[in-house]
Amino acid sequence: MAMKRISKELMDLHKDPPTNCSAGPVGEDIFHWQATIIGPEDSPYAGGCFNLNIHFPTDYPFKPPKVAFSTKIYHPNINSNGSICLDILRGQWSPALTISKVLLSICSLLTDPNPDDPLVPEIARIYKTDIAKYNETARGWTQRFAM
Amino acid sequence: MAAQAHAIDYDPERNYDEDTLAQQREIEKEIAESQPLISSLFTFDDIVEEYTREDEVYRHKIENLKTRYANLRKTRGDGNCFFRAFGFGYLETLLSNPTDYQRFLEICEKSKDELIALGFPQFTLEDFYDTFIDIVKQVKNPGQLEKLLETFNDQGLSDYFVVYLRLLVSGFLQKNEDDYIPFIDGERTVKQFCSQEVEPMGKESDHIHAVALTKALRVPICVEYMDREGQTCNSFMFDPTESPEESSPKPALTLLYRPGHYDILYPL
Repeated sequence: MAMKRISKELMDLHKDPPTNCSAGPVGEDIFHWQATIIGPEDSPYAGGCFNLNIHFPTDYPFKPPKVAFSTKIYHPNINSNGSICLDILRGQWSPALTISKVLLSICSLLTDPNPDDPLVPEIARIYKTDIAKYNETARGWTQRFAM
Repeated sequence: MAAQAHAIDYDPERNYDEDTLAQQREIEKEIAESQPLISSLFTFDDIVEEYTREDEVYRHKIENLKTRYANLRKTRGDGNCFFRAFGFGYLETLLSNPTDYQRFLEICEKSKDELIALGFPQFTLEDFYDTFIDIVKQVKNPGQLEKLLETFNDQGLSDYFVVYLRLLVSGFLQKNEDDYIPFIDGERTVKQFCSQEVEPMGKESDHIHAVALTKALRVPICVEYMDREGQTCNSFMFDPTESPEESSPKPALTLLYRPGHYDILYPL
């Protein structure tokens, strides 16, 4: 069932790609994809091109896909391994969601970080106490790692 | 002191959510290996020792159930048991009830467009609906019990069925938002409640899920509550027609509730 569903999502993505995102299998293995997100204009990630690895579990869509950044990014909800802290990738995953929705949610997370549920508490602290410094560091990392 | 030690041990390189998820998967695997999704028929004598190990009070309650019910089927304790018990139990009754089958099929066929109109993504909704309706149509012909049992024990098919029932509940609650908002705890909208407690697989069902499902599909069910108080089970009727008690319809199926779990009961 997983394979059928993933193939359908792939077709749907080609037909109707979400804004500023692209995704598809890396090689022959349909359970392993790579995605690209263009940093949203109204965020310090603007102009950056961020790569993500996607692994679908064998019981997809009942279990969420594993999604992680492979491009380094400075963000309170994304750690140095690229792990993302996002509710729909954890307990709030619903089988009615799709990779397309996940990528759009990650785009929103880039625009609106969630410092109250941080994966990197230090970045969350700076985001809450010194937004200018946060913006500057995030822009610096974007230029260094994502351009 | 303990909190401080914890703060020092915190490793920002690690994603603790993933550890929790991995542990959860291990537990799920153990349960899956020991319990079928829907079991064959048991008698109360088969299960009395198992239930009594949990609490001695269940011995009396099982005696009480024996005066009204002949058998039960157990469902896997995976957080989806209410939906799965309802799905299998009701379709099983439709095998010998073509009139109800026709009525139910019509409600199901209408539901897809209603859910899409409510804003559910058409792409995934259709995927679940197609499998769901195929399973419903299995019971058109009598004598398909073995096939139905096989379908509900096929993890993929069975879970597709459960997902669609969850979406029906979510849709019903969202459509009747004003009626249900007072029953939702915490500062949550009905939509938030649905995306946190209804749509994700494995989220256990509460009273509100049962009310919504029976109303959405217009199927009256009875639940026998086997809690630890008293000597008998309390039965509760979920009646979608809300008719006065004396004329309330006969339940299409009866479920047995033990704290945190639903199984299917078969009347004498």
